[in-house]
Amino acid sequence: MIEVHDLQKEYVEEETPTRALCGVTLSIKKGEFVSIMGPSGSGKSTLLQILSFLDRPTRGSYTFQGKSIDEMADQELAHVRNKDMGFVFQSFNLLSRLTVYDNVEIPLLYSDILPVKRRTLVEEAVRSVGLADKLHTEAGKLSGGQKQRVAIARALVTEPNVIFADEPTGNLDSASGLQIMEILESLHDRGRTVILVTHETQTAEFANRIIRMKDGMVESDTTIVANRIRVNLK
Amino acid sequence: MLVRDAFKTATRSLTHGKMRSILTMLGIVIGIASVIILMSIGQSAQNLILGQVQSVGSNLIIIAPGAPSGSGFSPPASSQGIVITSLKQRDADSLAREPSIYAVASLVSGQAEVVQGNTNKTVSYQGVSAEMFSVRNLALSKGYPFTKGDIDSANHVAVIGPDLATKLFGTYIDPLNKTIRLKNISFRVVGVLSKGGTGMGGVDQGNIVIIPITVAQKQLLGVNHFSTILVEADPNYDINFVKSRITFLLRQNHDISDPTKDDFIIMTQADLLSIVGSITSILTLFLAAIASISLIVGGIGIMNIMLVSVTERTREIGLRKAVGATDSDILQQFLIESVLLTFAGGVIGIVFGATIVSVIYIVLTTFFSSVGWTFSFPLSAVILGLAVSGVAGIAFGIYPARQAGRKNPIDALRYE
Repeated sequence: MIEVHDLQKEYVEEETPTRALCGVTLSIKKGEFVSIMGPSGSGKSTLLQILSFLDRPTRGSYTFQGKSIDEMADQELAHVRNKDMGFVFQSFNLLSRLTVYDNVEIPLLYSDILPVKRRTLVEEAVRSVGLADKLHTEAGKLSGGQKQRVAIARALVTEPNVIFADEPTGNLDSASGLQIMEILESLHDRGRTVILVTHETQTAEFANRIIRMKDGMVESDTTIVANRIRVNLK
Repeated sequence: MLVRDAFKTATRSLTHGKMRSILTMLGIVIGIASVIILMSIGQSAQNLILGQVQSVGSNLIIIAPGAPSGSGFSPPASSQGIVITSLKQRDADSLAREPSIYAVASLVSGQAEVVQGNTNKTVSYQGVSAEMFSVRNLALSKGYPFTKGDIDSANHVAVIGPDLATKLFGTYIDPLNKTIRLKNISFRVVGVLSKGGTGMGGVDQGNIVIIPITVAQKQLLGVNHFSTILVEADPNYDINFVKSRITFLLRQNHDISDPTKDDFIIMTQADLLSIVGSITSILTLFLAAIASISLIVGGIGIMNIMLVSVTERTREIGLRKAVGATDSDILQQFLIESVLLTFAGGVIGIVFGATIVSVIYIVLTTFFSSVGWTFSFPLSAVILGLAVSGVAGIAFGIYPARQAGRKNPIDALRYE
């Protein structure tokens, strides 16, 4: 599903180039649950941004669902982000003045899904994260955990193949964080590919594959076979 | 993104910050209202002037001294302070004999102080032939117009305007047969004009003194020419035919063989309407152009607020782009917000402008009823107002909208 080869990313700040990624090569299959770990500045977030089409690499190749990113114009990238990708951010990125319904509906506004079908999809997504009773509550009035669940519902509403989550538990207490990870785990169980960036080991262990990064390179790539049992034991 | 959704999103953004939206719109409201008010006043003034020109009658022909300009008409020389003495009694006499002409009236004018008892006032006076009252349809509220006999005998008789009558004699004293003095010559008031209207050359008819032309020429001005001859064409003849006959007779009288050497100007009502119409149209456009400066100021206000809005909502833009919005989706959203703001401002401006125009109309008709002001609210001003406000929304919204659309999603999401 995702193939990257010798991926590099350079930023130029105040005329000084900084290498955020230094030749990352990896592949992610459909249905995998991958955690990308590493200390600050290791390049994990940069890698996620490139994998999720929010940024382009400086060098290297990236093939998503068999098509090279180089062949895609910005408009097509936007279309793929809308149709095949869902996003969960550390800071939720909800529009606080809008209701839960309106926030979750946002990706559908940019899709070709007819307005009559949108309501069902939004209600279904909100119900799946356990917030059916908050459908018409303003997002700004929700707790942190609830906000992140709304963000997950928004990521789910277009029924994407891949969900990208950047530190989804970073702003939450441990109980709320656990709830969020359980939701992501259930999405994976239902066949979705989940790619998660975190610096917390406990959160990373929900995945069945952990990629550790350091200084813009992949330090280790480990598949955990028994993580489900370990999670349940927790 | 569907246009319907874009409108819904834009409306939601605007109603979220109601006070800011209202204040932003204010510039456009004032701009559009100014355009509406000035266009409406301009149109009303045009209607008033054209109405007065039309009131002189379609078979009236005005002859003024002076050379016509090469194309169209220039103002008569007399109106520019140049004294041209080409029109004489002989001309009036030969015109009076022309079968296609029904009546001929001649006129001279000047300004002098009129005195009655201890009251005085500087007024315009006109020396006219007896035919002037019928040619100009001058109605009298009191007394009678002076006669041909008064003209021939150079009697010191006068017809005065109604406002002047009140000013000199008060409300309760009948001015008829009372004496007024003009340039130290005593005149007996024989008539008072009815209220309303403007005399020849834009003279305020309410304060005019009309005296026999012979007295005005010989005793007040010391001249033997006319400043204007009015001709009432016989309605059975085509007006252009009559015009050509007048031209022929005057050229004959003045020994003119080269038409470019004409020393007179002939104007029909249609000519006057054309001149007055084009002058007032230019004036109205000029006023609207001045008012549109406030529109530009309002538009810059819109642009400023939209740029602030784009900056404030950078993370929102980043989010929308992350979940699939294209550059054009974002551009469209901000552009619709801008157009909605200006369009709403335009509608409010039109309503506000119409209200002000109505108030002006009520004030004018209540306190200046003699002016004969008519209410005019041109549809073109409404259409122009709406079109300009819509265009202003696009013109002043496009830059901020493009700025929003071009934002890189990841930079926008990181924006603090």
